[in-house]
Amino acid sequence: MAAPRLTAADRIRRVLAIVPWIVSNPGVEVAEVARRFDLDPDDLVDDLNVVWMVGIPPYTPDALVEVTIEDGRVWIHYADFFSRPLRLTPDQGLALLASTDGLLSVPGTDPDGPLVRALDKLRTSLGGDGEQIVDVDLGSADPAILATMRDNAASKTEVEIDYFSFNRDTHTTRRITPWRVIAQEGAWYVESWCHVAEAERLFRVDRIEAARPTGTASDKLPVVDATTSSTFSPGSNAARVTIDLSPEAAWVAETYPCERISEGPDGAQRISLAVSARPWLERLLVRLGPRATVVDGEIDGVPAAEVGAEAARRILSRYSG
Amino acid sequence: MSTNKLERLLKLIAVLIDTSLPLTAEELRASVEGYPDNDASFHRAFERDKDEIREMGIPLRVERVPATDPPLDGYRIPPEEYYLADPGLAPDELAALHLAAMAVRLDPGEGATAAADREALWKLGGQDEMFVDQVDHVANVPVDPRLSQIFSAITAGQPLSFSYRGEVREIEPGRLDFQRGRWYLTGYDRGREGERNFRLDRLDGDVKFVGEPGTARRRTSAPGARVESWEMGGDVPVEILVRVDAERAAWARRRLPNADVARELDDGAIEVSIAVRNEEAIRSFVLDFLEHAEVLEPPDVRARTIAWLESVA
Repeated sequence: MAAPRLTAADRIRRVLAIVPWIVSNPGVEVAEVARRFDLDPDDLVDDLNVVWMVGIPPYTPDALVEVTIEDGRVWIHYADFFSRPLRLTPDQGLALLASTDGLLSVPGTDPDGPLVRALDKLRTSLGGDGEQIVDVDLGSADPAILATMRDNAASKTEVEIDYFSFNRDTHTTRRITPWRVIAQEGAWYVESWCHVAEAERLFRVDRIEAARPTGTASDKLPVVDATTSSTFSPGSNAARVTIDLSPEAAWVAETYPCERISEGPDGAQRISLAVSARPWLERLLVRLGPRATVVDGEIDGVPAAEVGAEAARRILSRYSG
Repeated sequence: MSTNKLERLLKLIAVLIDTSLPLTAEELRASVEGYPDNDASFHRAFERDKDEIREMGIPLRVERVPATDPPLDGYRIPPEEYYLADPGLAPDELAALHLAAMAVRLDPGEGATAAADREALWKLGGQDEMFVDQVDHVANVPVDPRLSQIFSAITAGQPLSFSYRGEVREIEPGRLDFQRGRWYLTGYDRGREGERNFRLDRLDGDVKFVGEPGTARRRTSAPGARVESWEMGGDVPVEILVRVDAERAAWARRRLPNADVARELDDGAIEVSIAVRNEEAIRSFVLDFLEHAEVLEPPDVRARTIAWLESVA
């Protein structure tokens, strides 16, 4: 592993973490310290050689840090001022609490394991009176379905799923090969090969209504290391619509990938948007109501303006009853 | 990278932790080796050192030196603020934290949080070899630029102010929640005299500390309930009754795990009662069901939903 270039500040952070640990574990093997802090042993010795020069007035021998390395073991004396590590910064405390609380929210995590005990101790030491100050919910999912997806991803076997496609507003049953399960943007997804679409597909675990392992080994394995950054990437053949948004509807341009065509001084804008399926556009237009005007575009041969109007009439018909 | 600078900074930190009285710049210059002789160069180097120390999260205090005339500023690092309160983690607990940091990553975005987990774990004692284990990366949690400041206000019990939907709010921050891909702050709103939730991405601009640490009363309800968009901001909650058709009832129940299902109809449809502070948000939620759901009560909300739809039809 190529070592990244370290600044003086980076090295100091490392030294200030390692020295207290050696102070409280006298005579520990240099190799173990290096492993524990994921360091090259030579770099570690370089760091320790610098510490050896550090002292406080009056700079008598007992006021200078003494580092002894003998037979591959290390001792540090007279380093009272570095005898304990620096407190966690807010960034670090938050990162640890969020990772820990997030992992505990994964359905199926042992609620009495060491992670829970670690979290309790961390909370207390961070000064929150031990109460919960960070609550991370990675996404809700049926633990059984999540486990089925994980297990079959690990064993590379196919699963038949009943899936509610929100964008298309349809229920389907399809055979998939799960590749990887990941939480992203607050929901669980399973990256898969879909044997119906014969293509890679991303399924939201909370929209899988049932999952039945088939026991069939799959030859559809991930081609490349799957890296999913976006949960919706419109295909090149996706329909496009052009919409005028009033200033209150600016969130649309911030929420969906779109092209901004023009923007007025009052915040009104004209955007062009890729549409994955008709029900998706219906929802968007009825939610936007009077704040959006369709300028151009069609989907499934229907003018986009009519798509919204027709959906609104369909919904209204149930209010007139 | 210069070893001299590393050495000088370490010496400076050691001297500042060791002293109980604030030390002036000149005193530090005399007792810490490695500063340039030239006055102007010394002051530049000293300023940079102070900045670097602060950037590491080290509490460098500036205090008036006692009995100086004219008064002089001095520096020290109070040990009680510097040292980590040892959480006393057992080896398996530390290992569990390592696994969590590998599995669930705060998406660094532009901030310096990428290494935050790693450095935090160094401070807690590094990785115990006995428990080395590999775990898959299972989740990304995005980071808001204001998270770290809000987090530090919560741990310090310090009131905050920020602008939300164009109004300045003064909050005693209690808890950060990450739900459905977004960060929320729950806290006691001094102006509205009650607990409120705020979506962090809806805060306008920066967050400011508006009081001393320890002055925020920090009363928030227990966590766990999902914060819904229609519970945000707003004022007096209104109960809204929504009917969802049988074919979308399962979906609605999953989407509203804590909702009060007021009635189950023979055909499988359900009626759900929802406390709403923000009518626009609940209208969007109901319209996501298209023709599979409708607002039943109260009549004025139902009428406004109809008028909204008529504007599109």
